[in-house]
Amino acid sequence: MSEAVVITAAGAICALGADPGAILAALRAGRTAFAPLREWDSSTWPAPLAACADQLDAAAIFSDRKLLKSVQRLRRTDLLGLYAASRAIAASGMIEYRAALDGAQAAAFNENTAVFTGCGGVAYHYQYDFLPAMAAADGDIGVFGRQLGASVNPTWLLQALPNNVLCYLGIAYGFKGPNFCVTNHSVSGTTAIIEAFHSLRGGDAPRAVAVGHDAPIEPETILNLYHLGLLTSESVRPFDAARSGCLLGEGAAAMVLETASAAAQRGAAVLGTILGTGVATEAAGVLAIRPDGDGEARAIEMALEEAGVEPGAISLIAAHGNGTVNSDLSEAAAIRQVFGAVIPPVTSFKWALGHTMAAAGALDAVIALGCVRTALAPGIATLRDPDPRCLPLPVSAAATPLRGKIALVLGRGFGGMNTALVIQAPAEDCDE
Amino acid sequence: MRRRVAITGIGLVTPLGNSTADSWRALLEGRSGIAPITSFDPSGYPVQIAAEVRNFQPALDGSRRKLLKFASRHVQFALAAAQQAIEDAGVRPDPRSASRWACVAGSGMMGVAFEELAQIQRRLAPHGDFRGELMFKPGGPAPDPVAYGRNQANAGIALLVQCFGIKGYAGAIHTACASGGQAVGLALRLIRRGSADFALAGGFDSMINPIGLASFCLLGALSTDNDAPAQASRPFDLTRNGFVLGEGAGFMVLEEWQAARRRGARIYAELAGDGNSLSSYRVTDSHPSGDGPIQAMRRALEDAGADPAEVGYINAHGTSTIMNDRSECAAIRAVFGAASRVKVSSTKSLMGHLIAGAGAVEAAIGALVIHHGRLPVNANLNHPDPQCDLNFVREAEPPHRVRVAMSNSFGFGGSNSCLVLRHREDAGE
Repeated sequence: MSEAVVITAAGAICALGADPGAILAALRAGRTAFAPLREWDSSTWPAPLAACADQLDAAAIFSDRKLLKSVQRLRRTDLLGLYAASRAIAASGMIEYRAALDGAQAAAFNENTAVFTGCGGVAYHYQYDFLPAMAAADGDIGVFGRQLGASVNPTWLLQALPNNVLCYLGIAYGFKGPNFCVTNHSVSGTTAIIEAFHSLRGGDAPRAVAVGHDAPIEPETILNLYHLGLLTSESVRPFDAARSGCLLGEGAAAMVLETASAAAQRGAAVLGTILGTGVATEAAGVLAIRPDGDGEARAIEMALEEAGVEPGAISLIAAHGNGTVNSDLSEAAAIRQVFGAVIPPVTSFKWALGHTMAAAGALDAVIALGCVRTALAPGIATLRDPDPRCLPLPVSAAATPLRGKIALVLGRGFGGMNTALVIQAPAEDCDE
Repeated sequence: MRRRVAITGIGLVTPLGNSTADSWRALLEGRSGIAPITSFDPSGYPVQIAAEVRNFQPALDGSRRKLLKFASRHVQFALAAAQQAIEDAGVRPDPRSASRWACVAGSGMMGVAFEELAQIQRRLAPHGDFRGELMFKPGGPAPDPVAYGRNQANAGIALLVQCFGIKGYAGAIHTACASGGQAVGLALRLIRRGSADFALAGGFDSMINPIGLASFCLLGALSTDNDAPAQASRPFDLTRNGFVLGEGAGFMVLEEWQAARRRGARIYAELAGDGNSLSSYRVTDSHPSGDGPIQAMRRALEDAGADPAEVGYINAHGTSTIMNDRSECAAIRAVFGAASRVKVSSTKSLMGHLIAGAGAVEAAIGALVIHHGRLPVNANLNHPDPQCDLNFVREAEPPHRVRVAMSNSFGFGGSNSCLVLRHREDAGE
């Protein structure tokens, strides 16, 4: 029998706030965080709204000034990821615990600390750094090659690395354990948590830091998603009959996971337990999803089976619910397929904080944990008329009291990717 | 009892050949794939050589051919190598088995092709500074969902699962030069833990394009030996002066051992162990002591239940940079002992550095080494660096049995991957 994998700390940042508590409070207050983009003149754009994490305090990421200077050259997605991870690591107390160990024990602690990250990969705008040289070259690659040194930072490639959060968590904290970085669109962050979970369950490491981070708000993405019919000009209304698409957000979430015995050994407080995980693809195409929700249904079934719980034991479903017509419809179908007529309360958070893409699943997991810990799920405040085709999905604009401690967190991404996580809050938790 | 994993199919598209057989033959003959760059005009760059895939024909047939519009060059390599691997294995996903197949790949990082970026420049940055306000104005860029899909970081894995009908676990990994090794390692773990019974696992990349080459030139990481391309990549040689960019893809079909045996599959080797570590030192280097790579190698050996003395061959990361080569040699000495005579070679000496594809291609080479009992040479090693005092494969050797092989891949960002492969007859069922 494998050991339980517990959550001993969480960090999160998005447009709603810079810690999990603030984000949950904003959701409960029915607050959305969308504003017109300021980075570009978006006054002529049909979909100019996005949810930027304005509360990001990059100077607070690390206390070491030299390290801080080098990370401040990184991309915004990395700053968000490092911020959420550094908050989670600080909250876990693991660094203070390590400081009390002797040299060999501290070295072993580092070698046995795993780090898994998930991010969106290289964005279009990273390559805008090459535009001045391209303009000067006017299509001549020979001239372009000679121009580069004058206009592009020599460390461009290192600033663009998708695995920079992994890299700098290693450098900052000395962690040396199992690791990798997932670049699988919107399931990247969830996959990082899932692989951290399995790394611990399989005995490869007693503790892991898992991070999902993304800053997907950029002109090319807005242009293409808008024309694909995935972005709205108004508000995001998951599962509403009048829903018209999603809006982009940026953010990050991180969890410190430990085996139950490792957490007990250092007397760490337990915020929750990861019970099971599922990953399934639909093989339907780069941008396509199946209308029947087949991949998501199979991911849910796998996660329930791995968790060893019946559908009836789930007290909250934190859906992907991105407010696009087809995604919500197929997600409702997937949930119906697994749960039949008896479906626990369903909510989604993207109406307020936007679609944070690679960070979405990790943020949803951290927020859903807060919901089952406090036995109250925020409603979908923008919901007016639930889409009859999504019924009988129990969605509500109002907050819903929860009867149990177990949440199911769903994630989906381009390429027909689907993930499911089953998370349980501790029995002794009470309202915060 | 822990599930074991068999390698039953291999597909390679490399600068040495567009099939496993061609690539393997060139490795044994010591034929270099490095030459002047032909895919674009590199005359303005300090580096004008690379190991390019040549005479490549996309592999998809019939109705799947229309999917190629979603495939960038490196993804086309991936699809071709994966197709070979599946044909080679003699087993493929069907509606009954599809959800038990996983697909994991070390996925190249470059998205936007140079020509697309040039279009963005013409329309939105006429003077070099990006002007977002032009985005939705008349004359602004037309939306191009196909190009947008092609440029997604997971386009490769999305097309792989679609083309081959894989419906289980899917994962794209990017940890720079460690990507391919870590992806294959994850696939091993998926089968071991029961998340899948089969896996299509590999890596693919191509950074031989105006932006990719620029990014490495700016770092000063590449050899500038434009006049002697075949000798430019010389890992562990005192005169080395940087690595040479390669491109391509390598995929393997992995299967649960007992099931592979039951269907009478040809087993190249057991994929026996996976070790990962973070160097936690610098973005571009591991510590000169080998700290970081040492832990990855020890973890992989322990994971495989293998003793260092059993290892007959190490496919080194061996990039041909001073910092990597010395750190890696220090790590090998630390793990294997100063007196170890284990054979080592870096196949990057012939095929250049396939970046996110390297770890998967080189793991496949490790499987071929065990299967054929032959060792590829470390080319261009004429003046061994005294600080790289290992037993390198410098000339062709007579065939002999290799019980255990190891493949190292260390990435920018500090991720280290080590894979251990074992001879099928030593797998101990």
